[in-house]
Amino acid sequence: MSETNKEVLLSVKNVDISFDKGGPKLFRAVKNANFDIYRGETFALVGESGSGKTTIGRAIMRINELSKGEITFKGKRISGKLSKEEDRDMIRSIQMIFQDPAASLNERATIEYCVSEGLYNFHLYKDEEDRIAKVDKALEDVGLLPEHKSRYPHEFSGGQRQRVGIARAMIMEPELIVADEPISALDVSIRAQVLNLMNKLKAEKGLTYLFIAHDLSVVRFISDRIAVIHLGRIVEIAETEELFKHPLHPYTISLLSAVPMPDPVIEKVKTHIVYDESKRDHSGEKPVLQEIRPGHFVFANDREMKEYEAKLQAAEKEEALNK
Amino acid sequence: MEEKDKELFSFADFDEYKSEHINAPRYSYWKSVWRTFISDKFTVAVAIILIIVVGFALIQPSFSGYDPMVAPNINNGAMKFLSPSKEHIFGTDNIGNSVFDAVWAGAKNSILVSFICTAINMVLGIVVGAIWGFSKKLDKYMIEVYNVVSNVPFLLLAIILSYVIGAGFKPLIFTMTVTDWVFVAYFIRTQVMIIRDREYNLASKCLGTSTWTMITKNILPYLISVIMTYVSREIPSLISYEVFLSYMGLGLGSSIASLGKIISQYTSFMNGYPHLFWIPVSVMAIISISLYIVGQKLADAADPRTHR
Repeated sequence: MSETNKEVLLSVKNVDISFDKGGPKLFRAVKNANFDIYRGETFALVGESGSGKTTIGRAIMRINELSKGEITFKGKRISGKLSKEEDRDMIRSIQMIFQDPAASLNERATIEYCVSEGLYNFHLYKDEEDRIAKVDKALEDVGLLPEHKSRYPHEFSGGQRQRVGIARAMIMEPELIVADEPISALDVSIRAQVLNLMNKLKAEKGLTYLFIAHDLSVVRFISDRIAVIHLGRIVEIAETEELFKHPLHPYTISLLSAVPMPDPVIEKVKTHIVYDESKRDHSGEKPVLQEIRPGHFVFANDREMKEYEAKLQAAEKEEALNK
Repeated sequence: MEEKDKELFSFADFDEYKSEHINAPRYSYWKSVWRTFISDKFTVAVAIILIIVVGFALIQPSFSGYDPMVAPNINNGAMKFLSPSKEHIFGTDNIGNSVFDAVWAGAKNSILVSFICTAINMVLGIVVGAIWGFSKKLDKYMIEVYNVVSNVPFLLLAIILSYVIGAGFKPLIFTMTVTDWVFVAYFIRTQVMIIRDREYNLASKCLGTSTWTMITKNILPYLISVIMTYVSREIPSLISYEVFLSYMGLGLGSSIASLGKIISQYTSFMNGYPHLFWIPVSVMAIISISLYIVGQKLADAADPRTHR
């Protein structure tokens, strides 16, 4: 993607999401999140369990309400109250792929109904024949057969079910797809199948993905840019290769060190870096998300920025020498 | 050797979609319910008995024309307290009427009342309960209604209503439905709340499905089994309620036959003619127990986890 024709599709601005847990204080699941997603890219949101990545995804789907900030889609605000017309537009433009394909399909409905559900809701078909044709096409796109229409979700394998979930989202012809850990509930042997399918559909239909995951090797394979989120705070955003080459924030470094290597020799000598917020040097003013290189953001204060800058320059010098 | 191999083997065409094919026979929910239900011979036998008894109770009174207010043999001493015989299968009672006719006429009305009341309670309860489970606004008010209603003793309500609106078929149905549906609604509300926030409902919401479609397509199909269980308890319990109220003199009134009234009327002859008491009691027991067994099995069969 060249720098010039980057069109911001979705923009998350100063978003805070809090939950009332019954205590005197609200639980802040997401703290001041800021990022843009450009049209045609796969933007990954990476973090451990409970870091708030799914919460952000659901806020974009308008399931969770924001307590601060706003989310815009193609420049229009989509958070908060929307008119009925806008609401329908947004549902069609942004669709979601769920984590657990077994839990996210209605077990008492046939595949035909599951896939047609969106069509029914918006009456996106001329007549019955047209609807059937659309369902067949959607199933074919994800590598399923028309004969599957009369089957129930429990008759399918995990990978097939997830593809039904993808077909259900695709039939709405969305522009943005929020994929909430779409492969973490699947068997390792079929993960590649679903990822490849997602990439194929992206190329065919010009989709944009927000890919939520905790598995960095998967993220490296599929995404163009990565945002690392820790305890509700986005700590680093960069293009995929840049992030893997020059991780700056200690949490990112720790996360990358945890990626398993399929080589026992490397794996044996690898040291895991455990990230401990309390052991860090917190001197200086409050950190904010700052741009250290074009497109590379890191959550730091001025003192840390200097450290990171020095580190980056050293790394870049070494690379130049190696060339 | 090589020649032979070539004869025996041939290249197969690679078909990517072959692996997607499902070989299992087509699954049909209601067919599987039926298959699971008839797989238990005992339940089938009970169901047959139930159908015969209920069918007989619904048809026989139209032939006998039994009316509790008509007693042609009331002054004929020879016709009173006859033992069961060919002519009078269950014998005759204190006013010379055939017990056989009386029991079936009573059973018919008791069954009708309980079936109609169950239908009203379930329909009202399911519709209100489903909306109640989804709407937080409605929940605030309905939970208070439930608290009030559930704390009024049913007998007290029945007594007051029998004074206000009198006895009879319709007043009894009113008495047995006016508050009872709230309990069904509360039960459904709780069930709806359990599965309301499951991921597949979230997925439906993301696809823009309306609440009503969600209730009918996503929630209620999951509740068939628990609703069946509820119905299988509701029908027998309403039969015994009817019997209980009629026994207390609050039920259908003296002009309409009912099992409860017959039982209460015959209780006084327990010492001399115990069969007069035991026959209507056994008929009631057969009906409610077999209804319960069949209902429970149907509820089990409606649960897809029991399907093989």
